[in-house]
Amino acid sequence: MNILVCIKQVGNDGEMNLFDRHALEEALLIKEQFATKMPESVTITVVTAGPTTAAKVIRRAFGLGADRGYHIITKNSEYTSSLVTAYHLAAVAQRTHYNLILTGIISADMMAGQTGPMLARILEIPCATGVVKTNLNFKDNLIEVERERENGWRDIIAIDLPALLTIQAGINTPRYPRLSNMLAAGQKDIITIAETEIEPTPTRETYIGLENPEKTRAGLMLDGSLFDKAQQLFTILKEKNLL
Amino acid sequence: MKEILVIGEIFSGQIRPVTYELITAARKIEAFFIRAGEDARIRVVIPASDPETPARKLAGDTGIDTIGVKITELETYNSDLYIYCLKKLLKQLNPSNILIAHTSQGRDFAPGLALELKSATISGVNGIRSEKNELIYSRPAFNNNKNMLLRPAAGPLRIITLLPGSFKADIVKAIKPGTVEIKEIDFAPTTYKKNRIRHLQSRQRSGENQALKKAKIIIAAGRGIKKPENLESIANFAQCFATAAIGASRPLVDMGWIGYKHQVGITGATVAPKLYIACGISGSSQHLAGIKEADFVVSINKNPQAAIFRHSDICITADLLEFIQAFLKVFINKKEQP
Ligand SMILES: Cc1cc2nc3c(=O)[nH]c(=O)nc-3n(C[C@H](O)[C@H](O)[C@H](O)COP(=O)(O)OP(=O)(O)OC[C@H]3O[C@@H](n4cnc5c(N)ncnc54)[C@H](O)[C@@H]3O)c2cc1C
Ligand SMILES: Nc1ncnc2c1ncn2[C@@H]1O[C@H](COP(=O)(O)O)[C@@H](O)[C@H]1O
Repeated sequence: MNILVCIKQVGNDGEMNLFDRHALEEALLIKEQFATKMPESVTITVVTAGPTTAAKVIRRAFGLGADRGYHIITKNSEYTSSLVTAYHLAAVAQRTHYNLILTGIISADMMAGQTGPMLARILEIPCATGVVKTNLNFKDNLIEVERERENGWRDIIAIDLPALLTIQAGINTPRYPRLSNMLAAGQKDIITIAETEIEPTPTRETYIGLENPEKTRAGLMLDGSLFDKAQQLFTILKEKNLL
Repeated sequence: MKEILVIGEIFSGQIRPVTYELITAARKIEAFFIRAGEDARIRVVIPASDPETPARKLAGDTGIDTIGVKITELETYNSDLYIYCLKKLLKQLNPSNILIAHTSQGRDFAPGLALELKSATISGVNGIRSEKNELIYSRPAFNNNKNMLLRPAAGPLRIITLLPGSFKADIVKAIKPGTVEIKEIDFAPTTYKKNRIRHLQSRQRSGENQALKKAKIIIAAGRGIKKPENLESIANFAQCFATAAIGASRPLVDMGWIGYKHQVGITGATVAPKLYIACGISGSSQHLAGIKEADFVVSINKNPQAAIFRHSDICITADLLEFIQAFLKVFINKKEQP
C-alpha cells in the first residue's frame, strides 16, 4: 500500500506548506498504525513541483519518514496555475502505484484550494476536501473520513480506494524530524523529472499582478510609547462607552 | 445571448444566504455584458432532492428565473453526483459564466466540474471589476497579504467561486417573481460510478457558541500569544470590561489550547459585537469573515504590516503581552483616581 503526499514549498523561508505538513503527518500515522496489521507495509511517496530549491521540502519529508521523493523541476514564477500543477502531479501519480493521495486543503501562496480536486478528476478517482479525520479500512479497501462543513458541522463519508483527500488543520499535530533521520535523509535519492518531460497544459487564466487589499475600516494607528498607546486606547473606549 | 448561471446552495432544505451574494456578483457580470452591447441574462440553478420550495422562494425574492434540478439521490451532498449532474445540465444550457460559492461544498466540486467542462476557473474570488473592456477578478493570495488579479482565458466558459462575505446580498424584493422550471436528471449508472462516495452521517460539533455570537465585547487571541498559558493575560484584559467574551483564531482551537466554542471565523462563529479586540491575529480572510459585522475593531499586532490593520478601526503596533500589561496599569490608575 502506497500513500502519495503532495507537498509544496512556500514563503520566504522555503518551508513546507502548513496543510501539507498535516497531510504528511496523517500518512505517517497511517503507516505506523498499520505497521504490524497489514500483509504488506505502508510506504509513503512525496511529490513536489517547484524550482530546484524545492528539494528542501523533500529532504524534510525524508527526515520525517517518507520513503521516496519525486521532484518535478519547474521554473520559478510568481504565479502557478492549479491546473498545470495538477497535471504535473498526475504525471508522477501515473508513474507510481498509489492507493491514497493526500494534499493540503490550500497552499499559503496561491490559496486556490484547487490542485487536489483537479488531480483527483484527472486520475478519475473520488475526492473529499477539508478532511479532519481519517480511518482507513484496509480490509474493505475504503477510507472513512470526516469532512468539515460550515457552522461546526461535519459529514462522515466512506470513500472507495484509490481516493484523494485534501487535509485541513486540526487533524493532527505534525512531528519534528529527528536529527539522525535528517542526516540519513541527506543521502537519499530524489527522483527528478524535468517539466519539459511532461506534456504541457495550457493555462486557462492570465495572471495580471498583485495589489494591496483595500482597507475596510479607518485604521487609526496609535503613536507614542507603549504607555501612551494604552492611555489613548483607554480614552477612546471610555468615550465610546465601551469601558 | 450570454447566459450567467448561479448555482444556489441548499443546506437542510434552506437556501444559504451566500446564494444571494452570488446574485450580486452575477448582476455585475450582466451589467458588464450589457455595457459591451451584448444580450445577457441570469438564471439560478438549484440542485436538490426536492428543489421546488427553495426554487420558488428564490424566484419570488429576486425575480430571477430559477431552475430546480431534481436529483432524488441528492439527499446529502456528494461531489461525484454534483459534477455528473451539473455537467449534463450545463451542456444543455451552454452558459458563459457560472458562479459557485467558495464554501465547503462549492470548493469541493467546482475544480472537478471545471476540469470536466474544460473551463477556465478562478477560485476564492473577493472582487470583480472591469478594466479596459475586460472583467478582472481579484482573490486573496500570499497568506492574505495580497490580492491577486486574474483574467480567465478566452474560451466559451468560466467557472468562478466567490468567497462568502465578499459581495453584499441584494435584498430588494422583486416586483414580479421569476419563473420556476423543474428539471429531472437521470443517471447512466454505467458511466457514473455513483457509489464511490457514500454519506454515512452528519453531525454538529459540540460546544455551543451562542455566548460568543451574542457577546457585546469580545477579546480575541491569535497565534501571537505563543503559549496557552498566555491566555491568562487575555482573560485579565477581558476583566477590564463589564462583560467580555473570549474569542480565538482557529489555530488555537486546532492546537487544543481553547475550546471550539471560542472560535471566530468562517468555520467558527460569525460575531457582531460592539467591540472586537484582536490580539496577535494576522487577519486571514477566513478569520475576517467572522467579524465583518463588528461595530468597532481594535487590533494589537507586533507587525506594522499585518493584514488585520487594514480591517481595524484602531491599530496598535506592540507586543500584545506588554501592551496588555500597560493597559492594565492605566486601567487601575484611572479607577483609583477618576
Ligand atoms: C477552509 C479554512 C477555514 C478556516 N477557518 C478559520 C476560522 O474559522 N477562523 C480562523 O481564525 N481561521 C480559520 N482558518 C485559518 C486561517 O487561514 C489562518 O491560518 C488563521 O486565521 C491564522 O490565525 P492567527 O492569525 O492566529 O495566526 P497567524 O496567521 O500565525 O498570525 C499570528 C499573528 O500574531 C502576530 N504576533 C506574533 N507575536 C506577537 C506578539 N508577541 N505580539 C503581538 N502580535 C504578535 C504576528 O505578527 C501575526 O500577525 C481557516 C483556514 C481554512 C483553509
Ligand atoms: N507545486 C506543488 N507541488 C506539490 N504539491 C502542490 C503544489 N501546488 C499545490 N500542491 C498541493 O495542492 C494543495 C493545494 O494547493 P492550491 O491549489 O495551490 O491551494 C497544497 O496543499 C499541496 O498539497
